[in-house]
Amino acid sequence: MSSVKKKISLTPEVVKLYKEISLKDEISIDELKNITKLDHGKLEYLLGALTSNNLVERIIEVKKKVLLTEAGEIAAVNQLVERRILSVLKENQPINSSELSNLLDCDNRELNAGIGYLKKQGLIDIVQGQISLSQTELEVSKDIQDILVELSKGNKVDIQNYEKALLQRNLITIEDEKKIIIKTIVKFEEMKKNIVETSDISRLTPEMIRNGTWRKTKLREYNLDVSPPEFFTGRKQPYARFLDEVKQKLVAFGFQEMRGPIVELEYWNFDALFQAQDHPAREWSDVYRIARPSKGKLPKEGHVKLVQKAHEDGYDTGSKGWRYKWDPMKSARLVLRAQGTSVSARTLVDLPIPSKYFSISRCFRPDTTDVTHLSEFNQAEGIVCDPSITFRDLLGILETFAIEISEAPNYTFKPDYYPFTEPSVELSVKDPKIGHIEYGGAGIFRPEVTRPFGIDEPVIAWGLGVDRLFMVKYGITDIRELYSYKLDWLRSARML
Amino acid sequence: MVSIKASYTKMLEFLGKELSMEEFEELLSFAKTEIDDYVKEEDMLVLDIKTSNRPDLWCVEGMIREIKGILDMEKGIPSYEVKESGFSVKVDSALASSRPYIACAIAKKINLDDFHIKQLMQHSEKIDNSYGRKRKRSSIGMYNLSMIQNPVLYETAQKTHKFIPLGYEKEMTLDKILDEHEKGLEFGQIVKDYGIYPILLSADGMTLSLPPVINSNDVGRITEDTTECLIEVTGTNFETVNVVLNILCQTMADHGADIYSVVIEYPPEIHKEQVITPILELESITVELDIIEKYLDVKIDAAKAKELMQKRRFECKELEDNKIEVLIPPYRKDILHWVDIAEEIAIALDYNKIGPTKWKVLTTGGLLPETESENLVREILVGASGIELVTNILTDPNILTTNVNLDKQELVIIENPVSQTYSVLRNQIFPNLINVVSKNTHEPYPQIIFEVGEVVKMDKNDVWTQTNAAFCIADADASFEDAHKRLHHLMKLLNTEYKIENITHPSFTDGRCGIISINDIQCGIIGEINPLILEKNQIWVPVVCFEVELPSIPTLKCKIKKTY
Repeated sequence: MSSVKKKISLTPEVVKLYKEISLKDEISIDELKNITKLDHGKLEYLLGALTSNNLVERIIEVKKKVLLTEAGEIAAVNQLVERRILSVLKENQPINSSELSNLLDCDNRELNAGIGYLKKQGLIDIVQGQISLSQTELEVSKDIQDILVELSKGNKVDIQNYEKALLQRNLITIEDEKKIIIKTIVKFEEMKKNIVETSDISRLTPEMIRNGTWRKTKLREYNLDVSPPEFFTGRKQPYARFLDEVKQKLVAFGFQEMRGPIVELEYWNFDALFQAQDHPAREWSDVYRIARPSKGKLPKEGHVKLVQKAHEDGYDTGSKGWRYKWDPMKSARLVLRAQGTSVSARTLVDLPIPSKYFSISRCFRPDTTDVTHLSEFNQAEGIVCDPSITFRDLLGILETFAIEISEAPNYTFKPDYYPFTEPSVELSVKDPKIGHIEYGGAGIFRPEVTRPFGIDEPVIAWGLGVDRLFMVKYGITDIRELYSYKLDWLRSARML
Repeated sequence: MVSIKASYTKMLEFLGKELSMEEFEELLSFAKTEIDDYVKEEDMLVLDIKTSNRPDLWCVEGMIREIKGILDMEKGIPSYEVKESGFSVKVDSALASSRPYIACAIAKKINLDDFHIKQLMQHSEKIDNSYGRKRKRSSIGMYNLSMIQNPVLYETAQKTHKFIPLGYEKEMTLDKILDEHEKGLEFGQIVKDYGIYPILLSADGMTLSLPPVINSNDVGRITEDTTECLIEVTGTNFETVNVVLNILCQTMADHGADIYSVVIEYPPEIHKEQVITPILELESITVELDIIEKYLDVKIDAAKAKELMQKRRFECKELEDNKIEVLIPPYRKDILHWVDIAEEIAIALDYNKIGPTKWKVLTTGGLLPETESENLVREILVGASGIELVTNILTDPNILTTNVNLDKQELVIIENPVSQTYSVLRNQIFPNLINVVSKNTHEPYPQIIFEVGEVVKMDKNDVWTQTNAAFCIADADASFEDAHKRLHHLMKLLNTEYKIENITHPSFTDGRCGIISINDIQCGIIGEINPLILEKNQIWVPVVCFEVELPSIPTLKCKIKKTY
């Protein structure tokens, strides 16, 4: 052995076992158990230290073991039935089968099998129920009988030629016998110099620190290959955490947060946003209505009258308006917030200028739930107001969102439609895997929306599909997972 | 959004240009249309049109009209000659308070193949459904002209009036049609609300239709072989019925059909004079280019504006003082204000060619104090080993009541739920957490979960949204103390004094439940969940939990949000 061996740390118990094994080239685990008097678990544990250092190897040998069945045991002692029939016949023949049965004291099935066998071999004749020998000086099934006898003595016998017959006659069973052999790879004597004996002590105790025994103590080395147990910590919900990040970015862009109620007046959800009272988006199929309470109270401020005018004749905006009779009762109906823009609408009251606002709010639509639809989802949206704002600024805001929030450099702008903005733009992002994704949209509020609140400056309204953004970023294909009840996912969802 | 189906090959054929799918999709975006799907085997495009105010775009012809403008293949308002048909419609004054308006035209030399006939039917259906507000505001009917005698009568009928409705073989009375015919079941309520039966008849008394429900079986069927037809639109709004007629006439004219006008003879109760439809006089809007330039931040002179508006199928006249008069095609009624013209100009310029500006509106940003407060509570509860959950606010009433052994609650109830699973708003959160625990019995314990989220509450006068924090521990060793120590920890870190007083609550075990109060205001609950509930939800370990209303914690800045 010329190669330089590296040092190996072993506990005294392991070293003792190593010496023992090393005395022989190989030893079965049962034998080892007898010698060492160790229980199975402990022995395996200590062996682990030797095998992982390639000092010994563990070989599993599978051998066939032939065992006598109960019938086999009986036949070994009492002789096989055909042999017994022959010996009876030698003394008393001819004989009928019931007499034979009495003499032999065996059941009929066995007896018939024996008779049948002898007949087939041409050793007996049966005439009118009387059985007689057809030949004399006969031997039958001697080899099988010998095998049974040897097996019953516990000796090894070669049964190859008779295996099938023995099995068919249910005289033997064959079992796989697993034998674990520990084989020495490197002799203890050769390794001796490289072995560093370490301690059996697995952990440092407060006493050891206090009384200084830690100085003389070598702690058992930790097996680094073993995976640790699972560990569950408290953690933020992955989607909620993502929304926190989005909020953080929006705050960094100078947006102030705003909020609104979940149960909303149609006034804020639709009317203040210049959506005509018979607009299809206000249908049952598109918005959840509240059965109880079904109606609220319209705000007392003057803007209600002006919103009404904007609908009826465009108010003082120069717009034609929708030219119908606006109904305050419809406007006072309660719905579940169907679009985050309702929060922006509320913010238009006494809007400071310049200002930038955002809100991430739960919105509700009567969709049947599936992998892409939920009846409840989050919308990020907001407004930007400044006297200097133009359509190009709107594009600039969407560009910033595309790059900074969606982290998507391949974006395009497309004409879009919202009842409350003009012009309206869609931010479409090209994803290499999914294709075009509508990530968000924006537009400049129509004057019919802003003028009733006394605002003459342009107001940009924007929205981002945060649910979609999160799904693409984290490779989630089922939207229901965002509000998952699965503890497994909540505990172990990756953060990066 | 409106979704239509069309053949890709046929669309390109109608456009008269070879385009790749990608090029075509880009052009469609100018018509606010996206390709949602393409079924290759059937050569079928599923197109989503995003505008709810441009019914003229909801068909192949309308989109192609728009694209031809963008590609400079055609420009300005498409025009066609309208001849007099000699036909008239006499409108009965009995319709004045129900469905008073009708617009009609006659198309001849129609040469539509099966594809375009199907397009026409699809287009009519989409207009009826969306723009026509499910036929309430307007509905379209088309008839084989050769079977009709002049004048056409638009009047009312008795419920015993009979005709054979489309798709049937036997005559049915009007009330039977409303109660039994599939279209009667779908749209009959509109007629029932009128209290009268509108009817459209040929001069010889033959029934054309029961507007807006169903046409007559033979005369009201349009096929590939139809070469001359009467188109009518009835409804409750004069402008709507006329614009819908204009859209259909334009489509017919795009296919080379000749359009003839019809005289509508209104009684004075409905309209003071007779009207000749289609009404193709162009409406116009005057726009100051300075304002548009400032709004869009682009440079455009009158000549450029004219070019751009023609690209969008408008006409344009230069006026003095840098103003233009924009003439609006008769199939569009969506132009309410100059901002609508501004958008047309921006689209013609191509959004992607108008450069975005850099970020310029400087304001200070910030989270709301209530969000900061909620984040603080979330941080503390994560530190208390809690796994955060975001569960549904719109939920199943059973989760909030029977599943936690509670009787009726003051819950906000949805009038039109899609399913019971989403039919009420939660008024507290801990029942949702119990539900989550019940869904995770195969997961290792301890299960320590929490949610800081919105709930909706109501009383006689108000409905409001507020934020609660609920915490829940499920474990073989869980006891009151596990919830208590965390609540105490939370309150200690929030620098808030609180009291817990013994209470009997159906969701919790007697003697192991307390009501939380701050400054003598009750604002939460804590306790060991009643084993009755555990058994019912098949949770085989003890569960303890607490819930606090955050607006009641004086050191936090959470507020309730009233709806009104």
